[in-house]
This record gives sequence, C-alpha cells and structure tokens, in this order.
Amino acid sequence: MSTVELSFKLNGREVSLSVAPDTLLVDLLREGLGLTGTKAGCREGECGACTVLLDGTPMNSCLLPAVKAQGREVTTIEGLEKTDGSLEPLQEAFMGEGAAQCGFCTPAMILTATALLKNNPDPDEGEIRHALSGVICRCTGYRKIVQAVQTAAKARS
Amino acid sequence: MALAFEKLHWHSKLEVAEYLVPASLTEALDMLASHGGKARVIAGGTDVIPELRSRKLDVSVLVDVSRLPDMDGIEADGDDIVIGGGVTHAAAAASPLIQDKASALATGCGWVGSPQIRNVATLAGNLVSGQPAADASVPLLALDAEVTIASAKGERVVPLSEFFLGLGQTALDPGREILTSIRFQALADNQGSAYLRLAKRKALNLPILVCAVKATADGGNIASAAIALGPVAPVPFRERAAEEFVAGKPATMETLTQAGETATATCNPRDSLLRGSCDYRTEMVKVFVRRGLTAALAQAGCTVK
Amino acid sequence: MQDKTQEKTKTQVLTREENELARRLRTADKPLTVAGTSIGRRDDPLKVTGKLKYGADYSAEGFLFGKILRSPHAHALIKSINVKKAQELEGVAAVLTAEDLPGRNGFGAIIPDQPVICGDKVRFVGDGVALVAAETETIAHQALKLIEVEYEPLPGIFDPRDAMAEDAPKIHEGGNILSDDKMVKGDVDAGFAEADVILERTYQVPFLEHAYLEPDTTMAIPQPDGVMLIEGPMQAPFTTRRNVAPVLGVPINQVRVRQIHMGGGFGGKEDSPIDLSCRAAVLAQATGRPVKITLEREEVTIQTAKRHPMIMELKVGVKKDGTLTAFQGVIYDEQGAYASLGPKIPPAGGSHVHAMVMMPGPYEIPNVKVDAYLLYTNHPYGGAMRGFGAPQVHIAHEQMMDELAAELGITAVDIREKNAFRLGSQTATGQVLSQSVGLRETLESCADRFKWDERLAATGWVDQAHTKRRGVGVAMGWYRTSIGTNGDGCGAAVHLHEDGSVLLYSGITEMGQGAFTVLPQICAEELGIMPEDVRLVKPDTDLVPESGPTVGSRSTTLMGNAIILAARQVKESLMDTASMMLMVPTERLDAKGRKIYDRENPDKSLDFAAVAARAMAAGKRMIGQGWWTPPVPSLDGHTGQGSPYHVYTYSTHMVQVVVDVETGEVELEDYVAAFDVGKAINPKALEGQIEGGVAMGLGYALMEEVVLVEGVTQNPSLQGYLVPTMLDVPDIQPVILEVTNELGPYGAKGIGEMPNIPATPAIINAIAQASNGRVRRLPADPERIFWAIKEAGGPPQD
Ligand SMILES: Cc1cc2nc3c(=O)[nH]c(=O)nc-3n(C[C@H](O)[C@H](O)[C@H](O)COP(=O)(O)OP(=O)(O)OC[C@H]3O[C@@H](n4cnc5c(N)ncnc54)[C@H](O)[C@@H]3O)c2cc1C
Repeated sequence: MSTVELSFKLNGREVSLSVAPDTLLVDLLREGLGLTGTKAGCREGECGACTVLLDGTPMNSCLLPAVKAQGREVTTIEGLEKTDGSLEPLQEAFMGEGAAQCGFCTPAMILTATALLKNNPDPDEGEIRHALSGVICRCTGYRKIVQAVQTAAKARS
Repeated sequence: MALAFEKLHWHSKLEVAEYLVPASLTEALDMLASHGGKARVIAGGTDVIPELRSRKLDVSVLVDVSRLPDMDGIEADGDDIVIGGGVTHAAAAASPLIQDKASALATGCGWVGSPQIRNVATLAGNLVSGQPAADASVPLLALDAEVTIASAKGERVVPLSEFFLGLGQTALDPGREILTSIRFQALADNQGSAYLRLAKRKALNLPILVCAVKATADGGNIASAAIALGPVAPVPFRERAAEEFVAGKPATMETLTQAGETATATCNPRDSLLRGSCDYRTEMVKVFVRRGLTAALAQAGCTVK
Repeated sequence: MQDKTQEKTKTQVLTREENELARRLRTADKPLTVAGTSIGRRDDPLKVTGKLKYGADYSAEGFLFGKILRSPHAHALIKSINVKKAQELEGVAAVLTAEDLPGRNGFGAIIPDQPVICGDKVRFVGDGVALVAAETETIAHQALKLIEVEYEPLPGIFDPRDAMAEDAPKIHEGGNILSDDKMVKGDVDAGFAEADVILERTYQVPFLEHAYLEPDTTMAIPQPDGVMLIEGPMQAPFTTRRNVAPVLGVPINQVRVRQIHMGGGFGGKEDSPIDLSCRAAVLAQATGRPVKITLEREEVTIQTAKRHPMIMELKVGVKKDGTLTAFQGVIYDEQGAYASLGPKIPPAGGSHVHAMVMMPGPYEIPNVKVDAYLLYTNHPYGGAMRGFGAPQVHIAHEQMMDELAAELGITAVDIREKNAFRLGSQTATGQVLSQSVGLRETLESCADRFKWDERLAATGWVDQAHTKRRGVGVAMGWYRTSIGTNGDGCGAAVHLHEDGSVLLYSGITEMGQGAFTVLPQICAEELGIMPEDVRLVKPDTDLVPESGPTVGSRSTTLMGNAIILAARQVKESLMDTASMMLMVPTERLDAKGRKIYDRENPDKSLDFAAVAARAMAAGKRMIGQGWWTPPVPSLDGHTGQGSPYHVYTYSTHMVQVVVDVETGEVELEDYVAAFDVGKAINPKALEGQIEGGVAMGLGYALMEEVVLVEGVTQNPSLQGYLVPTMLDVPDIQPVILEVTNELGPYGAKGIGEMPNIPATPAIINAIAQASNGRVRRLPADPERIFWAIKEAGGPPQD
C-alpha cells in the first residue's frame, strides 16, 4: 500500500512523517505518535472523546483522515503541557470542581472548553452547554463540568 | 449473510488505497475522471468516514475537495445568496447574512450533529448524501435552492426540486461530479422562514421529523408558502398540496390547521423502530406544518389570527 | 406538607450481632479531620493532562489481536464448523473452536453457563462460536470471514412470558426458568378486602446499555513462569480470576489479574471482562503469546451484559386516607441467554432476588405477595447495571404510588408521607429497620429545597396557545449497602513504614466513582495522618487481599470498615510506642494531622513519623490486616422473609418539567435530589455520584433502549443508542443528609447506585402530572408521551 508524506504542527512542534492514506487522525495520534490522551469511544463522532483542535477548532479526530492535518496545527490534550509543569486554569478548575470522574471524556471536554474560552472569554451557562454538547459524559451529569468552565473563565479574566 | 457478518463484526480501521488532495477544481475533476467513477469525493467526511468504517461504502480512492480555492464563500449576489460548495454548517449557522435572509437554513445547520461535526461537515455533503431529513437539505428545498455541479464535461445547474432522486441518491454522480455552489433567493421583507425539528434529545440526534417553511405574506393573507418535510418520503419532500391549499388564503389558525391536515394526505413516513411510527409522525406533520407556517408568517410580519 | 414532626427521637434498636459489629467499629468521639472533607481526586492530575492510561492506551506492540466470531442466529444448533481456510491465512496465529479448549468451557459471574466458545448451540445473536488471534486487526477480521459455520436455526424466545410455556423451546437444559422466587408477608386477600381503592397496572422496561465511554479491552499475557497475567479495565478482578483459572484448567494461584483504570463501568464491567479475559486467555495459552481483545463500540452493545428488562404486574390496595393495605406483584425478569448476575446466590444475592425484595418500595405495607420469575430468552443477557434490579421495580412502585394518589385525590407527597419507612418500620421481608432510616428526612428536605407546595400550585399551562404544560414529579427510593450473600467479606491491608508513610492494599477498583480517593481518606483519618501520606496499591490479585467485587455500593462501607480494622492494628503499635515515649497512658492519646498527642495536654505531642520509626525499631507490628463481613444476611427460600441486607440508603427526588402536549417533547427545568447517606466521606465525590446518577436515570426515563428485533440489536452504535447530552441534563441540586449508620465507616452507607434509581420514576411522574400522559412502558420518548396523553383523553384543561 502506498503512503502519503505528511507534515503539520503538533502541539507547537513541526512533525513530518509518512502515513497510510486511510489513517485516521485519532489512530495516528494514539498509535503512531503515542499521544493516548485522545480517546476513541465510538469512532463515529457520536461521543466526542476523540476531540482535538485543528487550527484551534474542535473536531472529532475519529472522523478526520490524518491527511487533513497537512500544513495545519493540531492540538491535543498533551499540547496544554507547559515546561514548568503548571496547569492551565481549565485543568485546575476541572480538578477543583471535581469535574472528572472516570476521566475518559476529560481531555475532550477541556480541549473543547479551551476553544470556547478563546472565542468567548465569558460564556454564560447556555453557551457553555451548547459549545460542549458534542462530548458525552456518562459519569458526571455535566454539572461540575459546566461549573469548572465557569470557574476557569473567572480565573482567566 | 455477508451483511449480517458486517453488522456483528466491526472495524476500527478503514481500507482505502489512495487519498488525493487536489489543488484546483480542474485537478479534482481530472482525478475523478481518471478513476472512471471508482473514486469518491470527500469533504468533511462525516458521512463518508462512518460508511467506510462500516464497509457500507466501498471505494479505493478518496478525492478531498475541502481545500479547493473559492469554495467557502457565503455571499449576496443581487437578490440571491450564493453558498460555496465547501461551506460548513458552522459557517452557515453563524453567517449574519443567512441568519437574516434565510433563517430556516441557519437554524437547520445549527442543529446538525454537534459543534465538532458542524465544524467540518458541509452543506454540499449534506445534499449529496441524499438523506430525507438532512438538516440543510430540507430548508434549502423550501428555499427553492439550485446547485451548480461541475464535471470534466462542464457545468450544469440543477434545482433541488430535481436533485433528490431516492434514498441516498441524487442527480449528482458522486464518482465524477463536484457540487461547487448553492444558490437561492434571499428572503424579502414580506417573507419569512422557519425550521422545526423533533428529536429524542437535544444534541447529536437524528430527527424524528423536520419541517422547513418559507412564507410570503400579503397583508393578513398568505401569498404563498413553501413547505418541506423529512423524513416522510425517501427524499426531502415538498408538501405541494398544503402549499397550494394555503396560497391566497387568510392567515388564520383555521387555515393553518387545515393545511396540516392536507399535508398528511400526501406525505408518507415509514414506521421506524428508532425514529417513530408512521401514525405518530403523521400526527406531527399536522403540528409542524401549522407551527412552521405560524413562525414563518410571524417573521414575515404577519400574525396569525 | 402536613405532619412535619416525625419520630426522629425513636432510639436505635440494633440486634445483638449488629451491636457487636458496631462496637468493633466505634471510634473515639473526636471530630473527623480528613474523612468528611472534599479533597480532590487522587488521579485528577493524570486525567486533566491526558496521562492516565486506560486499557486501549497500553501499547499492543508484540501482541496478537484477538477477535470473536459471533453468531448471527438467536437460537441455533451448530451443525459443523470449518476453520481450515482461516488457519491457513498468513498472519493467523490461532483459530480456536470449542474442541480446542483446555479446561471448563463456561464462564459466568455466578453460574458458568456461558460457553467460552459455543460447541453445539448458540443462544443469542452475538454468541461466540470461534476465536481468532492474528498479527493485525485486519488479518484477524479476514480470518473470521473465512470460517464456515453451518447452523440449524431453532425457534427463538423473545418475550420472557413465552419462556414459561410448557412447550417452549428449551434454551438451556435445565429449562427456561432460571429462578422462581417468592416473598409473602401477611395476607394480601385480607389486605385488599380492607382497601377502599385497588389499582392494577403493568409497567415495562427495556434492555439498557451501560454505554460506559471506554469500550472494553483485555490483555492476556503469558508469563515466563507459566502464570497467566490478565490486565484490563474491570470491576471484579477476583471474579475474573475465579473464572479464568478453570477455563485454562489451572489452579487459581496460576492466574494473576491486574486492574487498569476504567473509563466507566456502572456494573457493566463486572462481567464483560470475565468474558473477554477468558477468551483472551485461551488464545494466549494456545499461542504462547500476549493477546489483546478490544471491542468496537457496536460490539460492546451487541455482546456484553445489559440492564435486565422487566414486565411488572402490580395490584395495590389503599385506604381513603392513603394508607397502603396490600401489595401484590409479579415480575417477569428477562435474563436473556445467560445467567450472568441474575440468579440467586443464597440467601439474597443476585439481581433477581434484589429486585423482588425492593419491589414494594420503601413503604410499610402489612400484606405483601411478590412472585418473581427469572427467565432465559434468546436475547443478550442481563447483568449488573447501577441498581441491580432496583431501578426497574422503582419505576413500577413509584408510578403506582402516583396513580393511587391521583385516584384518591391526594398529593403525591401526601401518599408517600403516609407510608414511608421510619425507624423501626418492618419491610416486606419482615426486616425491622433498626437504624439509620432517613427516608422521611429526605422527603422533607427535598420538598423544602424544591418548594414543592408552591411549585405544585403553579403547575399548568405555560403558553397562551395551550401547547405546553408545566408539571412536577416526586419519587422516593431505597437501596441496600452490601450484596446479600454470605460471602460478602472484604479484606484490606495497611503497611506502615518507618518514615510514617503508608501503603494501603485494597482490591476495590476505580471506575470514576472515587474509591482511590475515598479509601486513603479513611485510612488517613484512622491513623491521624494526611491522605497524601497513604499510597494506594492498585488492585492486583497477586498483591491485594480478596476484597470481593466493586459493586453493590459496598466499596466505601465494607472496604472502609476493613481499612479501619487494618489501620487499628498498626495504630495500636503506634499508640503503645507513643505512650512510652510521652509517658502518657494510651487511652489519653489521639492522632491527628501527623501528630500523636495527649488529649489532656495537646502540647505534649510527637511527630507521627518519629513514632513510626521508634515502633519499627522496637519490633512492633507494622502491618495491619482487616477483614469485614457485614451482618449475616437471611432470606427464607419459600417465604422471602428475613433480613437480606443490613442497611439501606434512602432518597427523594423532585423534578419540574414542561411537556409539549402536541408533540410529547419534554424539557427538564429543575431538579432536587435528597439523600440520606449516613456520612459523606467526601462530599464532592458524593455530589458527583448524585449528579451523574440522576443523568443516567434521566436517560432511562426519556431515551434509552436497546431495540431488538428477533434478537438482533438494531441500535448498536451511539447514534442509535441515545444517552443524555449536556443539553438534556438540567442543573441537579444535591441535598445530602447524614443519618448515621452504626455499621459503616464514620457512619457511611453506600451511594454509588442510589442516585439513578428514583430519578427515572420522578421524571415519568412529572410528565404525567403535567400532561396526563402516563407512560407505563419506557422509555417515555416523545411518541410514547404523545400517545399516552391521547389515551388519557388529552391534557388537563384547567
Ligand atoms: C455524529 C454525526 C452526527 C450527524 N448529525 C447530523 C444531523 O443532525 N443532521 C444532518 O443532516 N446530518 C447529520 N450528520 C450527517 C453529516 O454530518 C451531514 O450529512 C454532513 O452535512 C455531510 O457533510 P460532509 O462534508 O461531512 O460530507 P462527506 O462525508 O465528506 O460527504 C458526504 C457525501 O457527499 C459527497 N460530497 C461531499 N461534498 C461534495 C461536493 N462538493 N461535491 C460532490 N460530492 C460531494 C461525498 O462524496 C459523499 O457522498 C451527522 C453525522 C455524524 C457523524
């Protein structure tokens, strides 16, 4: 099978590699690059656990052919890591509010909320719920997640 | 038996031999042509990828049209609105022009899947997938949109009334043609539109019933109305009988209620275990036609009495 | 609400056995410092950075991919099976059929009636008929396709009532009735004779999928010394080990099971890991190589356990004033193809018996008769799912309470207040509730917080066009702590080191509920140190003591007690040592905040670490072992009388909804859920359990259902199987009450399952209150609500 040459910015760093043409971004990240913070929960865009940011916009990496990343910027949960080990306000807030239970949706929730707060630093509850509605959480009932985003928004401002 | 096998044994991976990313429309059309119909266009991929994974779709070459230049515009052109073949639901839902001059479409696009889905999925893909209750297709049908289709042989314009041929089937040859733009008339001051959707949950849900209405008011009367429904037939469905019934009538609750009754005579939803029974959806057609007309007329400045 | 004053003062009436157990647990009367606080979850930093590893995150390099060939028939004989072509495919390491198995061809959480590989017959669509291990997933898939199986289809049973017919095809050799249980108290005929109103109703609930977000994964890794190592997300490592060993034909000590953090379980990862582990293990044994089986989402839905569907027939009598006089119930509890967690483990274990015991609800009823049948069908099988039979029967009794109230013209709260359990009440099994009965308190505080009276008065039309109506609903619930078997013991070990740090060994698993945070909290509280001084050793059957499964809302309570007892043993060493160092008698010593001090002269204190070092040097006991078994359960096999579970958690939920009476759509506006939890060890984690549980109950009420046609799952993916999204779940307000459980750690009771139980009927009741539409067959999706309103002759017209 042929391969495709691919280069893109991943969590701030340029990467170049060759991939099979039918590789999905979720598998490239998880299996090819060892970034397992991105989860595969349903592989059809229904659970949102595979969410990554493509040029800052949340997308389901299970539905994205890896080739679509060509020349673009991909941010995964690992991309929030800072050299000094400190955490983003959203990460702090998710911990403080108890917004993570099993944690499987947490990276996707945090990334989606990251994109939201970038465009809308002070969202109301309805805006938060709409923006995050593409990620299913089966554990928390969502309340603490909404609270965490509100807390982080306050902390940032 | 083969189908039963695929339904019980699932894949995590796809099987596609080639993924092509053309830089221009001409190159894209050439790529399609050179594969003699065996290649398939992919835009957002939100329909194509799940179908490849479930092995419902079997193609060996994908041609990605999402980076073609000049496909992502949303523009006014005289009285018309023109939407590029690469425009996503997120862009359409957020467009002030569409919100203002085709609100039914903005609403419909805003309902598609989830934010993640809307950020990549396109209106063109929604049309070409040919699903009867697709959230952009149904309002576009009510807006009397037409689409421009390019192939190696040239361009043609097809009104949506002739576009949907059957379940999953359209006038576009998915192995050879590309939908480059969508065009329809912007709503005039005495016109309004509405989009209603019934579902079991509030995000990420296939609808039980959708209804798009465009209405033109003439004082307290209904000058004309376009009513599109889905899924009540194998294709997005124009409810002509009800449209004819209301044309020229006073905008009263009685007219609208009767329009709903009229609509049930011609549309024919299937019994579906997951979406709902024919009987229920027939009842809902009545409600939605009435409510859709009411909302569209209100937007047109006409309060139903 | 009238009659607010209740007999809260009535004293506890513990049995002698309970008293003895309580005495062992009782702690010196000092305020808690660590338990009772909302410390953050231990693994949070790993979760928010994406570093926490789940089963599928472990590299499969060097592993073979395991796959299961599934039966397309619901019920059929296997006439022949030919694996030759599959074996010859390059990259295939093994193709196994029933003949190739080395040991017992059966597994199951209670009875091993499910074949690892079906030999002569299949019993549901999805049953495993062959196993393949190959170098890649694609090759494994191709190999499956090359296996030729010839079936002779048999008539299938798809309604549990059909399973009882004399001439019904037999799904298992012993017949289709897996369990037939009875509960009889008083004389129902006499009770009905006293009643002013008698209602008969049938309620029905479908199969439910747990829809934990993480699909199942298991790894079987043969070790150089012959041990089979199993790793995967699972709730019951010991049950898994108990099954894998005989399937491999080896002693239990030759199997080692390690739990990997779960991406949700909800009871579902109690038995699906048994299935996958047995299958991965036989492939690993056959090939001598590590094997990984990962299910795709659709395969999880098709293959793994579900919540049991039930058809519940109720006949209930009530006096004009709302007093219940008789309750008669029949449960057709659909087990599906295999026994899983359904059948009885005497005296009161298994989901079926639990459903029977809970069926009359948390109400005093003098005359009760319940007949409960657990029936095999050719559907997927019912297992444990957050409530273990209780959610189903609550849907029946809580709707019935509302229907009775409506018939009598009293409010839904009044009828509950009239009959709700109080301290000293006798349950339908004749058990006297001897302690920790906060049910009425939950009703009272829920109504206060929700403003029930005001809201009830304000229900009615929302809009002028009369399309939408607002309504309120209430439901109460009870749920056991512990599992009702004699073997419900739970072990823990506490290892103290000379620097004061502690290792805590527990076999209780973490699936998001917070056990790995709460258990160290209890250990730290008991020792007087900080939670961060305690490192928890993750469940590994080679390292941790047998703790039983992480189910039945038993973790905090049973394991908590075991930890307290274990910690006491090392604490004794510490106190002895400190007593010598401080020259103060041990009775005067206390430990808190890493200090051991003289209670009468708190300045006289020692660092915990210094005492630990001295204790070690003095050869004192540094290892504590705790074992806790709850009071021995009882339940008579013929009459269903006895004390099946030692303590219960109680709850009341209230919800306000708006129903679109023209379409059947529902909007949830407000939600209050009150609980008597005994003691909240970690209030924030507890709130999380409540909010998540309510959301799950909401799904059950409004949208969730595994749709089956002739045994074929119609909605295996999350596109068809709907769970609530962020836009569907309202802001849930938890109210936490603490009515001490004398037999729990610091008074705690179980909470994991309770929250989702009353949620479902509360919502259904609110819909009916708003619209007249009473949906007796779930889910109450818009269509069912629409028809229910029609059937009732339309919405209320006021
Ligand atoms: C989780 C999920 C939820 C969804 N929810 C909804 C929903 O609520 N409502 C709804 O309507 N749909 C929904 N969909 C379906 C899908 O998102 C839409 O139909 C979407 O608009 C398809 O667009 P796309 O760009 O992703 O198309 P693709 O998947 O890329 O393509 C779809 C089809 O169109 C063809 N095609 C695409 N672009 C062109 C073009 N320019 N010229 C010619 N052919 C083209 C492709 O060959 C293919 O046949 C959902 C899908 C998912 C995965």
